[in-house]
Amino acid sequence: MKRIFILLIIMIFSLSAVYFSSNQKHKVTIPLSFDNYYTYETVVEAVKALNKAYPHLTKLDMVGKSEEGREIYALTVNNPKTGRELDKPGIYVDGNIHGNEIQAGEVALYLLNYLLTNYGKNDEITKLVDKKCFYVIPVVNVDGRVHFFEDANTPSSNRSLRIPKDDDRDGLVDEDFPDDLDGDGNICTMRKRDPFGEFKTDPEDPRLMIRVKPGKKGEWTILGQEGIDNDGDGKINEDSEGYVDGNRNWGYDWAPEYVQQGAGDYPFSGTGIKAIGKYIRKRPNICMVWAFHNSGGLFVRGPSTKGQGAYPPQDVAVYDYLGEQSERIIPGYRYIIGWKDMYATYGEFSEWMFMINGAYGFVGELFQATAETFKSIKEAKKTKPQTEEEMFFGGGNEFERERLKFNDHLAQGELFKPWKPYKHPTYVDIEIGGWIKMSSRLPAPFMLKDMVHRNAAAIIFSAKHTPEVSLDVFEIKKAGKNLYRIRTRLHNSKAIPTMSFHAQKVKLYAQDMLTVSGKNIKVAAGGKLTNIYRNQVVYKKFRPELQFLTIPGFGKVEHQFLISGKGKVTIKYQSRHAGKIEKTITLE
Amino acid sequence: MRQKKLLILVCIILLTLSGLTAQSKFNFDRYHTPAELNEALKDFVRSNPKITALHKISVSPGKIEINMIEIGPEVNKNKKTQPAVFVAANMEGTVPISSEAAVYLIQLILEKPEIRKDKTWYILPCGNPDAAEKYFTKPLMMDARNAHPYNDDMDDKVDEDGVEDFDGNSIITQMRVKDPQGEWIPVPGDPRMMKKADWAKGEKGIYKLYTEGIDNDRDGEYNEDGPGGVNIGINFPHLFRFFTKTGGSWAGSEKESYNLIKFILEHREIAMTFTFGETNFCLTPPKGGRKGEVDLTKIKIPKRFATALNIDPEKTYTMKEIMDMVQQFVPAGMEVTESMIASFLGLGAVVNPLPEDLKFYKELSEKYKEFLKKNKLDAKRLDTSGAKDGSFELWAYYQLGVPSFSMDFWTLPEVKEEKKEEAAITPEKLEKMSNEDFIALGEEKISEFLKSSGAPSNFKAKMVMDAVKNGMMTPKKMAEMLRQMPKPKSKEGGDPKEKALLAFSDKELDGKGFVEWKPYKHPTLGEVEIGGVVPYASNTPPARMIEKLLKGQVPWVFQIAEKMARIKINKTETKVLGVGLYRVKAWIENTGYLPYPTAMGKRNNRIFPVIVTIDGKNFRIVEGKKRSLIKGIEGNKKQILSWIIYAEKPVRLNLKAFTSIAWQDTKQIELGGMK
Repeated sequence: MKRIFILLIIMIFSLSAVYFSSNQKHKVTIPLSFDNYYTYETVVEAVKALNKAYPHLTKLDMVGKSEEGREIYALTVNNPKTGRELDKPGIYVDGNIHGNEIQAGEVALYLLNYLLTNYGKNDEITKLVDKKCFYVIPVVNVDGRVHFFEDANTPSSNRSLRIPKDDDRDGLVDEDFPDDLDGDGNICTMRKRDPFGEFKTDPEDPRLMIRVKPGKKGEWTILGQEGIDNDGDGKINEDSEGYVDGNRNWGYDWAPEYVQQGAGDYPFSGTGIKAIGKYIRKRPNICMVWAFHNSGGLFVRGPSTKGQGAYPPQDVAVYDYLGEQSERIIPGYRYIIGWKDMYATYGEFSEWMFMINGAYGFVGELFQATAETFKSIKEAKKTKPQTEEEMFFGGGNEFERERLKFNDHLAQGELFKPWKPYKHPTYVDIEIGGWIKMSSRLPAPFMLKDMVHRNAAAIIFSAKHTPEVSLDVFEIKKAGKNLYRIRTRLHNSKAIPTMSFHAQKVKLYAQDMLTVSGKNIKVAAGGKLTNIYRNQVVYKKFRPELQFLTIPGFGKVEHQFLISGKGKVTIKYQSRHAGKIEKTITLE
Repeated sequence: MRQKKLLILVCIILLTLSGLTAQSKFNFDRYHTPAELNEALKDFVRSNPKITALHKISVSPGKIEINMIEIGPEVNKNKKTQPAVFVAANMEGTVPISSEAAVYLIQLILEKPEIRKDKTWYILPCGNPDAAEKYFTKPLMMDARNAHPYNDDMDDKVDEDGVEDFDGNSIITQMRVKDPQGEWIPVPGDPRMMKKADWAKGEKGIYKLYTEGIDNDRDGEYNEDGPGGVNIGINFPHLFRFFTKTGGSWAGSEKESYNLIKFILEHREIAMTFTFGETNFCLTPPKGGRKGEVDLTKIKIPKRFATALNIDPEKTYTMKEIMDMVQQFVPAGMEVTESMIASFLGLGAVVNPLPEDLKFYKELSEKYKEFLKKNKLDAKRLDTSGAKDGSFELWAYYQLGVPSFSMDFWTLPEVKEEKKEEAAITPEKLEKMSNEDFIALGEEKISEFLKSSGAPSNFKAKMVMDAVKNGMMTPKKMAEMLRQMPKPKSKEGGDPKEKALLAFSDKELDGKGFVEWKPYKHPTLGEVEIGGVVPYASNTPPARMIEKLLKGQVPWVFQIAEKMARIKINKTETKVLGVGLYRVKAWIENTGYLPYPTAMGKRNNRIFPVIVTIDGKNFRIVEGKKRSLIKGIEGNKKQILSWIIYAEKPVRLNLKAFTSIAWQDTKQIELGGMK
C-alpha cells in the first residue's frame, strides 16, 4: 500500500509546489559547496571548474546535445599514470534524467568533488581513483533542469524530454500547460468553496483538507493544478510539455506508448539519450552503474518487467551484497526489485545496462519524505504508523500535518503556500495554495549535504567492489622429458565478478581470456583445474593456449598447462571489466 | 560545308537533349545490384524532378547508400496534407526479386499520373544492401547480415571464420563427410537430398554435414564466424528478439533500421505499408496464436493492488472498470488513461492481429486470389513464409497501426504427389462440401484424412463427425484450419522444399539449382564430397520469369491503395431554432473500404481521431465543441456531429475534418439568411 502511494507520486506527476532561492546564482568555487541547488549553467560551470582544477585526473567530454540544443557533459575521472581508462573497471554515474529530479545532479557533482578533492589526501580515495575509472554525467535531461528552475512547476512536473507530443491527440501540440496564475513561480493547487464538494477543512490544520464521509456535507472541491483551459477544449492542463520519459526510451525491452506512457516513438528517439547510449557503448569497461532519481528513498534493481523472468541467482547475490550494504550506508532507504516492488518499466536505463551491456546497476530514488519529520524520539515511539487509507486518500492525515509542522518550524514556512483567493476565468472565485515546486520531492537545502554524501558513499562502496584480479603462477614442474606442467591462479578479491552471469548466459561478449605463449614453446594441453587436490583438469579440445573464463566475486579460477620446449613463457590475462595482467616465467 | 556544320550542331543538340531527358532503360531481364538500384533511383529523380525526390536514409556498414524515392504531388512540402503509402523492399536482403518489384512499382507510378495525384509514395527498393550485395558477389552465398562486424563465436577474433569455395564453382554449398558420428543419410527416393537418420525406423547415420569451408580459427567449428552482423529485416521494435546471433543488440541498433524507423515516425502521413520480401499478407492474412497476450476485457489485478482498491484479486475486470476504480484514487483534475493502467499493471503489448482487422485481410485475400487467377499466376506453389518476430511488416501493423500488407512474388511450384489417392480430402474439396457431404464420407475415410493431414492423435473421426453434426464445426472451417497447418513431411523424409527445388531445377533450370556431390580432398576433414542446393535457387526465379511475375502481381498494390480510408464531410444540415440559435449537423464519412483507423491503430493510440473543427467570426458555440474528436469510422460508414450555435448576424462558418492519413475535407456553413 505504501508502495502504491509512492508509485502514484512517482508515476503520476501532479499536485503541489518554491522558494529556496532557485533563481539565485550559485557561486562555483572548488571545492564545490552543497548548501543549495545548482542550475544547469552552474552545473556546467562546476564540471568545467573541476576539469580545470584537476587536469591530470579528469577529462571533459561534450557527449551530445538535447532536443533544445543544450550541451550534455560528462567528466571522466581517471589517473592516466596508473593506466588507460579502458584497462580499468569503469563506474558510470548519472542523474536528473527526469527534469524535475534535480538533486540527482548534486549527488553526481558531489561524487566528483569528493573523489578529486580527496585524491592524495585520503588513502582510500587515492587508491580507488588510481585503480578505477569514473564516468559521470551529472545532468542527463539538461532541458528539463533548465525548465524546472526557470518555469513555474509542481514538484513533479517537467519530467519529460522536450520532444513535443500531442498528449490529448487533438491535433495541437503542447498547447495546454498549467499556468502560474498568481505569478509566484509555482504551480500549486486550485480549490473552490462548494457545499457539494468532496472535501472539508481539516479541523487540526486549516491549511489541509480531508475527504468527507459519504452523506456528510462538504466544503471544498479540489480543481487540480493551477491553470486555465488554454485550448478551449473543456479540459484544463491536459497537454503540457512532452510527454516522452527519458527513462523509458532505452533499447532493452522497450514498449510503445500504448503499453507504457512516456515510451517515445521508438527506442533512443531522444537525441540526448541516443548520444549517451553511444558514449556508453564506446566504454565497454563500465561494469557498475548508478542512475539517480527522486524520490522515495530506494535502491531499485531489475528486472524491470515481470515478463523477462528473474535474474540469474549468482547475479542476484552480487546485487544483494551491494544493495544491503547501501541500505546500511543510507538508513531509511530500501533496496527493492523494480517490477515487483514498484511497477513495470519498459525501456529503462539500468536494465539496458545490465541486459545489453553487462553492467550491474542501481536506480537510486533519492530522499525519503519520512526524513521531513517533526517529532521527538518519545513521540516517535508512541505514534502509530500511518494507515494505508490515510496515505492513499491523502490530505489532512497525520503525515501531511507533520510535514506542515516541519515546514513551519524547520523551513520557516517556505515549503507551503497559504491559500489565497483568485478570480479564475472558468471557476470564478477560487483559492490557490499548497506545496511549492521545491518541496515534497526535494530535500530542504539544509538536508542536502547529508544526502549527497551518503549516496556518494554507496557509489564508492560499489566502486571498491568492481573486480580486482591478481594472476599467480603457483607451480612450475617438470612433467617429463622436455615437458613442463604449470599452474596458474586468477583471483578476484572483490564482490563483482569479472563478467555477469547473465552476460555469460546470453553471450553478450567474449569472456575473459588467458593466453600462454612463447617463442620456443608449445602448449600441448591446457584447461581448467577444477579440483586441485584430486588433480582434476578439464582440458580444452582446441587451441589450449587460449582459455576463456570468468572469475566470480571473491573467487578464483585455476588452470593447468602442459608445455613442451624451453625458455620464456608469457602468460596474459585480459578482461573487459578487470583490465590486463601479464607475467613472464622461464622454463629451464 | 555550312550545312554540314549545322547538321553536326543539330546532332550535338539532339544528343545532349536525349542524354538529359531519356531515362536509361531499366530492364527486368536480370537482377540488379544495390548500386544499380541506387543509380536507377537517381535516374528516376533526374528525369522526373517535379514529382519525385530522393531521400538518403543512411549508408550501410558495407558503405552502400540506402536511398528511398518519394513520388507524389507534395514532394517539396515538408508537411503533407495527403496520405502516403510506404513500400519497403528486401529488408532481409536475401530476396532479389523484391527489389526488382519495387523498381517495377516505381515505373508504374511514374507512368500513371492518376495513381500519384492524391497520395505520396515512398519506395525503398533495398533495405539491407550489404546482404543484398551477396547475390552478386562470388562465391555465391545467402546471408541476411549486414557488414557490421560481430563476434559470432565469442572468441578472441571477429569475423575470422567464414566460408571458402573449394570446388571452384563460385557457389557455397555443403560438404558431407563419412563419420562414425554422422547423423545424416541420403534420402532413399532421391539420394541427392540428405535427411537426418531416424533411429526409430532403423536408419543409421552416415554423414556429417558442414558448409563449404575450413576451420579458419582452429576451434573445431566450421564457418561459425563469417563476416557480418545484423539482419536488418528483424531489427524492428515489435516482438524484437534479444540475444540472437543475427538480430542485433536491440531494435533499431543498426543505422539502416534506426534511420528508417525515425523517418517513418516523423512522417505521420504514412497511412499504409507494403513489405516486399518473403511474406504475403495479401494472400495469407497475418497469423495469430501467439501466447501471452492480455485480454482487455478480462484483466486480473495483482493482489497487492487489489487489496488497495478493495476488490477481488481472483476476479477479472474490464479495462473500463479498472479505469473507473483508479480514477477515484488519483489527484483531482487528473485523467486516468488506458496507457497509464497498462503500464501500471504491466499488461504488455498486443501480439495477435485483432479480429476486426482480420476481416479486411481475409476479404482482400479472397479478392487477390481472383486477381491472380485472372493473371494466370494462381498455379499451386509452396507456402509463403510467416512473418518473423521483429520484422518490418509486423512492426508496421502493431506499432504504426496502419494496414500492413506484404507480398512475395514467387515460391517454388508445388510438386504434384505422384500417387495422390482419389479419396484424399483437400482443403479445396472440403470447402465445397456441405455438412451432409462430409458426414457421408464415413468414419473410415475421415479417419484416414485426419491421419494424412497430421491432426493430433486425440482427434478421432467420430468426434469430428459429431462436431459437424451439431454445427460446432463446418467443412469450410476445417479447410481453413488445414491451410494454417504445416504440411506433413513426405514419406521418404526429405525436406519438401528441397524436393520441390530439385523438381524445379530439373525441369526449369537444367539442373543448375543443385550441385551434384563430388569428391574433394579437404585439408583437415580428408575425403569429403561437396554439393547440395544452390543458394537462392529456392527463392529467386530465373531472370526470364521476373517480368511476367511482376506484371501480374505488383499492380495489386494499387488496388489495395485505392481502398484506403478517406474522410469526407458527406453533408451538413442547418435548422433554425429561433432567436439567433441554430442546430448544425454534419455527417462525417469514411468513403474508403478500409476502416479509419485499423482496430490496432485505435488500440495503440497512434492514429489520431478525426479532428473536426468549426471556425469563423461572430458566433458562439452553445452546445458541442470547437474541436470535436471522432475516434474512428469504419469503412463506408458515417458518423454524425451536432452543434447548437448562436449567431446574431448572418455568418459563414468553416467546418473542417482533419486527419493525417485519410485526407481532409472542408465545408462552409452559412447561418442567418445569407442565401
